Amino acid sequence: MSKLTRFLATAFVFLAAWLATLLGYVPVPEIAMEFVPALPLWIIVSFGAYSLASIGWSLVTFGDCPEAHQELLQEIQQAKADLRRLKVTVD
Amino acid sequence: MASLLTSLMGGSSATTRVASGDSLGLAPSDKYSVLLPTYNERANLPVIVWMLVKVFREYGINYEIVIIDDNSPDGTLDIAKQLQDAYGKEHIVLNPRPGKLGLGTAYIDGIKRATGNYIIIMDADMSHHPKFIPEFIRLQKQNNYDVVTGTRYTGSGGVHGWDLRRKLTSRVANYIAATLLQPGVSDLTGSFRLYKKPVLSKLISATISKGYVFQMEMMVRARQFGFTIGEVPITFVDRVYGESKMGADEIVGYLLGLFNLFAST
Repeated sequence: MSKLTRFLATAFVFLAAWLATLLGYVPVPEIAMEFVPALPLWIIVSFGAYSLASIGWSLVTFGDCPEAHQELLQEIQQAKADLRRLKVTVD
Repeated sequence: MASLLTSLMGGSSATTRVASGDSLGLAPSDKYSVLLPTYNERANLPVIVWMLVKVFREYGINYEIVIIDDNSPDGTLDIAKQLQDAYGKEHIVLNPRPGKLGLGTAYIDGIKRATGNYIIIMDADMSHHPKFIPEFIRLQKQNNYDVVTGTRYTGSGGVHGWDLRRKLTSRVANYIAATLLQPGVSDLTGSFRLYKKPVLSKLISATISKGYVFQMEMMVRARQFGFTIGEVPITFVDRVYGESKMGADEIVGYLLGLFNLFAST
């Protein structure tokens, strides 16, 4: 089963259960009916908020490693000097 | 072990490291083949080869570098021949091809030529630094991993030379992929990796995608086959010479490829 079919199957089961509850086929306490209608929207909004927070956090903590750049530039100079000695063309 | 001996003998391990694979847990028969697909890398190739040789010599690692050049008009192959003269045919293996045939087939051709039992793939443009290779080897040996992949996104890893927009694109792309595919690897599109040779052969033959999605599919397939994967934080210095390209076409291609993988694995 592919990831897509698994996702669709899960979504279908959830939506069916949600509809059945909404239409009164599943007995739930009165109080639950206060939030059951908003459940899918709530899930979507939560997922969106989680995604934004997750991407935002990973942007803030993105490593810039300027020292790796410096080190590389120095090493390139060393390499070029040595390569010329080995008769390799370096521009 | 090697450093202990050196210090007992009064040598300075900081300046003259003893060339020995002991600290990495190498077996005498271990050989590492680096596959370097090149296209117009005349400026980068000699430097990356020099840095590779430096690391391999320092750690006493048995190695070869397979250069797969797709008939670069800038004469990359001539430079590769000079490198072969400088470092020897047993260390520099040339695999020229008649034209631009793509990354997937470059690896297939490279594997055919490779004589090592381990394969390292990396970019030839110096965005990947060979100094991380001993870390890859050490981690692979410790846990007998089938694959070790470099990650820019955890621990001490990072990227130099990206503006906010490029970082955001990369983060969003990686987030969508991680959410849809659940690969358990933090850097899906990375291309600095160490493979056991048979593992890479099997993954390549199972992988159909191209471009950015190619590297991603390799990880997804690896999970599918039940291969074990380790991660090493790496720094990525975006092209010092030349420009790195990431346009709208690439993004659309990436999303389509991602969806294909989502629907097919």
